[in-house]
Amino acid sequence: MKKTITKRLNKSLLASAIAVLLSSGMAMAKSDNMHQLYQDNCASCHGSDHGGYLAPALNADTLKGRSPTALRTIVMAGSFDTLMPPFYGKLSDDEIRGVIKHLQETPKQPNPAWTIDDMKKSLKVYVKDESSLPAKPTFQIDDKFENLIGVAARGKYGRGEGSKAIFINSATHQKVGEVSTGTAAHIIDFNPANPRWAYVKTDTAEIFKVDLYSMQATRSIKTGWNGPGMGVSRDGKYIMAGSFVPHNAVILDADTLEPLKTFELEGIDPDGKHVSSDSGMIIGTPYADIFAIALENAGQVWIVDYKKEGFPVTKIEKVGRHLHDAFLTHGGKKLMVASYDDSIVAAIDLEERKLIKQLPAGCVPHVGGGSAVKVDGRTLGFGTNFGDCDKMVVSVWDLDKMEVVKQIPVSGGTESPAAHANAPYVAVDIISKDRRARTVQLIDKKTLEVVKTLDVGGHAYFPEYSADGKFLYISAGYNGDEVVVYDSNTLQKVASVPMESPAGIFSRGRVKYMTRGLSPDEMEQGK
Amino acid sequence: MKLKYSVLLLAGLLAGGSARAASLYAGQAKAAAVCAQCHGIRNPSADAPFPPLGGRDVEYLKTAIRQYRDLTRKSDIMNAIAGSLTDNDINDIASYYGSVKP
Repeated sequence: MKKTITKRLNKSLLASAIAVLLSSGMAMAKSDNMHQLYQDNCASCHGSDHGGYLAPALNADTLKGRSPTALRTIVMAGSFDTLMPPFYGKLSDDEIRGVIKHLQETPKQPNPAWTIDDMKKSLKVYVKDESSLPAKPTFQIDDKFENLIGVAARGKYGRGEGSKAIFINSATHQKVGEVSTGTAAHIIDFNPANPRWAYVKTDTAEIFKVDLYSMQATRSIKTGWNGPGMGVSRDGKYIMAGSFVPHNAVILDADTLEPLKTFELEGIDPDGKHVSSDSGMIIGTPYADIFAIALENAGQVWIVDYKKEGFPVTKIEKVGRHLHDAFLTHGGKKLMVASYDDSIVAAIDLEERKLIKQLPAGCVPHVGGGSAVKVDGRTLGFGTNFGDCDKMVVSVWDLDKMEVVKQIPVSGGTESPAAHANAPYVAVDIISKDRRARTVQLIDKKTLEVVKTLDVGGHAYFPEYSADGKFLYISAGYNGDEVVVYDSNTLQKVASVPMESPAGIFSRGRVKYMTRGLSPDEMEQGK
Repeated sequence: MKLKYSVLLLAGLLAGGSARAASLYAGQAKAAAVCAQCHGIRNPSADAPFPPLGGRDVEYLKTAIRQYRDLTRKSDIMNAIAGSLTDNDINDIASYYGSVKP
């Protein structure tokens, strides 16, 4: 009897010793594992530095006092009406609990580095000999290459099999190709000088060089941790890309994707504080050999001369507080930049390199790609805004006089306006998080009134006209999983293209008309 | 004899009519709100572990969802999610997914 007790005791001692060993070993491995798990599953939306990106910041500070059980439910089941997918069945319960513990203990990281050497090492070549590529498109497009429309399909998890750039022929509404991007595609830019090339940037800051003739990526490079900013030069030879994490930008050779120069984004903000800054929009203009880049937090716009030795920078200061996106006007000589915190859109003269005017633009202006239309001799600019206040309007400016013409009431916050010289309406996406998110409203160009509301379904956003203006493409984003096509005049639904979590839509026609809504002649003026 | 049949038929129609006819539109809206996060509005994500519902047999879907709701079929996550659905919701959702081409 005694013997057995001792034996049992020994056994249990041994067992607990093993358990202690195992758990300490696991604890050591755990925080490293959880860091990797976060980077592999969460960081493309929540930010590699834990500081938030498309989705909220997840760190010790922002999650302080939050119930781990409640957080676990969100991770498991996803969050309705947002891009947050359910991780039930994808991550184990231990992993979910582990990553929540890790997040509640981890502070926001101070600007994790991604240097020019990291970029160089990340360069991948998928097609060694580009001269072996077909000389013409391998799909039906009737020599009208501008009919090509690219859609950034995010994929439900912001990465994985569903994450692609999908290309559609807007004459037939048929999918003509798709290129897997690994993580969520965010921006598609077309090469203005050579129709065969497009560049796709993901939320984890990789840029893919895509051969549209054979619909495949030939090269890719990782330019940072997160951030969508990208522009292509008018000669098609350079790309400039900017990141949220870390705070830098880079000029690449558009042919090889090799990085040529990096820029640290920092400066004195309008309140006199020296700050390190996220990259906002980057744009190449048809008017000159320059890039313009918005420094979000520093409130500056930098102009980079890419043809001059050393890529010199001209800094325009005090443009606004928290700059974001922009669009071009006047043949590409003027730039309209949205400033979130001042509720203005700032007009910048790219020739004189100075700020010329700040125009009222609703509470949180987000102009998306912007729109400009010519009506009755006036050039009118259209600016959407998130509308996080009572004032839910789309602002219309006279771009010659640089003054507000009207602030059109709409049914909610808006994110992106679409217009076309040949289409009667300016389309704006309502993004308010309820049933309104299913809808897109149409503003008559002449009367400047909302004349129709389309119930697209899903979370409808990013409207875009086909290059001929005959069709309006709209992403019925998450919970819709299709791109819906309407006739621009009758507003009847004519087609649907299924895909996983479609977001931004980019017509190849954009390189022709510079800003959506203008006629191609407008761009010729700039040259 | 003929008369009897048609009376029966009529009774059957009336009984069917008393339970509201399923609405595909309402079903799609409810599916988008309750199910699509995991199962997709047509198909689940290419790399998600959830079973597809699009194109499945409508009666099977109704039975399965009702069982999840009534806790006669156990699943922590499905019991919680189906718990709030009414019979009408279930009819609509099942008819909607049944009508979707997978």
